[in-house]
Amino acid sequence: MAAQPDHAQLDHPQKSHLPFWMLLMLAWRNLWRHRKRTIITLSSIAIGFGLAVLSIGIGDGSHNSLIRNAIKLGEGHLTVQPRGYIEAPANHKYLANGLLLSEKLEALNLPGSIEPRISLQVLSSTPSNSVGAALEGLSHQNDPRVDMLKPQLVTGHWIEAGDLRGIVIGEGMARKLKAKVGSKIVVMAGKKGGDSQAQLGRVRGIFKSQVTEMDDYLILSDTQFAQHFLEGEGADTTKQPVTRFAIFLDHPDTLYHWKNVIKTMVENKDVIAMDWQEMMPQLVQFIAIDDAGNYVFLILILIMVVFGVLNTVLMSVLERTREFGLLRALGLSRRSLLMLVFCESLILSLLAIVVGWIVGGGIHLWFSQHGIDFTAIMGEGGNVMMGSFMDPIIYTELSWDRVTQLTSIIFIVTLASGIYPAIKAARVTPVEALRT
Amino acid sequence: MALLTLKGIGKRYRQGELEVNALSDIDLEVKEGEFAALVGPSGSGKTTLLNIIGGLDASSEGTTHLNGIDISGLKEAQLSNFRLFQLGFVFQSYNLVPVLSALENVELVMVLQGRHKNESRQRAQHYLELVGLKNVMQRRPSALSGGQQQRVAVARALAAGPRLVLADEPTANLDSENATALLDIMHTLSHEEKTTFIFSTHDPRVMDRAERIITLQDGKIVSDELHEHEH
Repeated sequence: MAAQPDHAQLDHPQKSHLPFWMLLMLAWRNLWRHRKRTIITLSSIAIGFGLAVLSIGIGDGSHNSLIRNAIKLGEGHLTVQPRGYIEAPANHKYLANGLLLSEKLEALNLPGSIEPRISLQVLSSTPSNSVGAALEGLSHQNDPRVDMLKPQLVTGHWIEAGDLRGIVIGEGMARKLKAKVGSKIVVMAGKKGGDSQAQLGRVRGIFKSQVTEMDDYLILSDTQFAQHFLEGEGADTTKQPVTRFAIFLDHPDTLYHWKNVIKTMVENKDVIAMDWQEMMPQLVQFIAIDDAGNYVFLILILIMVVFGVLNTVLMSVLERTREFGLLRALGLSRRSLLMLVFCESLILSLLAIVVGWIVGGGIHLWFSQHGIDFTAIMGEGGNVMMGSFMDPIIYTELSWDRVTQLTSIIFIVTLASGIYPAIKAARVTPVEALRT
Repeated sequence: MALLTLKGIGKRYRQGELEVNALSDIDLEVKEGEFAALVGPSGSGKTTLLNIIGGLDASSEGTTHLNGIDISGLKEAQLSNFRLFQLGFVFQSYNLVPVLSALENVELVMVLQGRHKNESRQRAQHYLELVGLKNVMQRRPSALSGGQQQRVAVARALAAGPRLVLADEPTANLDSENATALLDIMHTLSHEEKTTFIFSTHDPRVMDRAERIITLQDGKIVSDELHEHEH
């Protein structure tokens, strides 16, 4: 039965197109026509993907280690402090009614802890020497900074509850002041009017944190010890004046939620709430620069992937010129031919993602559990930078954002690599192709 | 009324500095159901003429009407649809899609036509049986002999229900036995299906099966005569 002459058939937009199921079937079979080549391409993409996952995982793991330590050693995920303090710290800038603020913050019942702190610029002196120092009055029961530094004690013990004279200093300061456990240190602070005030502290312990800024300049005391200096600035100690509240969240991903809540609640012309990124802009900048280095590595991997896919699909297109000529002669539209080759790239990229995640995910899972030991490079104390330190054993970390980002990038790049071969295939003219 | 009408067809192309006349002043009419052979030596223009009739190549001058359609004026997409619905092709070699089975190769064109999958399958099976390939339908081309592959191509060309089947040296790569068998199948189906066949050849065995022999030489028709078939 012959088809009837029908001019309308000629302009029918739906004809000459392969249905999707056949497009997929043909693309799948074409992809496996050269099994070895496809496997080699997939392997190279998977290895590249694995390396990218490992590189990003190590990068994020080390950055997060740096951030976690910086937050613990520093001022928490969020800080409530006097407005203008960070720009120009001074002893007379404090939160006069710490009690009221503390009650407000406690009323939020946020998952985490709220630590009152008093930071003062002081001069510490022994009969041997005098050095500038930062006095930190803090709660010794809960403060994460205490948890971080307590294991770093090299001699003596930590300040006990009710010890209003006890101080803990870093090894650098102890060396400069020629102080040891039991030594008396005069801590002196200037007052706003120009006078000075002093208190006597006794060294209970000496720590070595590896962070030079802390070891050389930090004096830790109870809040009450430090509060005496604020009293000298005119503060009412019954209102528990503090320099800041350091807020540590159990779930760091809720940071921006709590930041907004706290900002709304406490901010006014005198008080400001800041997150750790605002408190430590140098650390954020360092991570951004380090991330840029990782992206360069990722780009190199992507170039490898692009050439892998381009080579496979383009070779397969060039080899099939005659076949494409046949299909075009039989009535297959250019668009369908383009879609067919593009579909091959699509399947290749989907396979690459799956195989890539099996390899990359496997590598990540292993190193996220067992870590990579960089002790030989960093030393026991880890790598110190930007006022924090990186743990010497790095556990790879990948957030869902990173998973989505990596998957999308590899998918898009792989798919884009198929565009040129697809266009080349669609340009085949039957008569020339059949002559080849 | 003729199924195919060629008027003043010429084809020129440049070869370096030279302009070559591949075809000139071709006037031809082919009626429905004819089983015609284009014969002539290599380079006489047989394939070029078939390509123009099939809408695979454009003529430099003249008009081609098939089934009332002037294909000289069709656009690219229209030509695809034209080939899909009006024509069947059998080429000298590389006729089949290697990743598809014989059955799928025959179904392919019908699927492109938008026919239902079941209908395409049934017709494909029917035509493969007609060409004697019932037992090898699921095989891929690489597992078929040259003769079997050409028979699949004939089944594919006919299953889609074309008005005209163009075959360019369909037996060139076949041995005598397979060539004769293929020609017999084409001839039989041409009559049974009332489908017009035009095939190019310089194989005397093929010419012998033709009912009409159109002879080309240097791009011109030098003779056009009916041939008494021996069967």
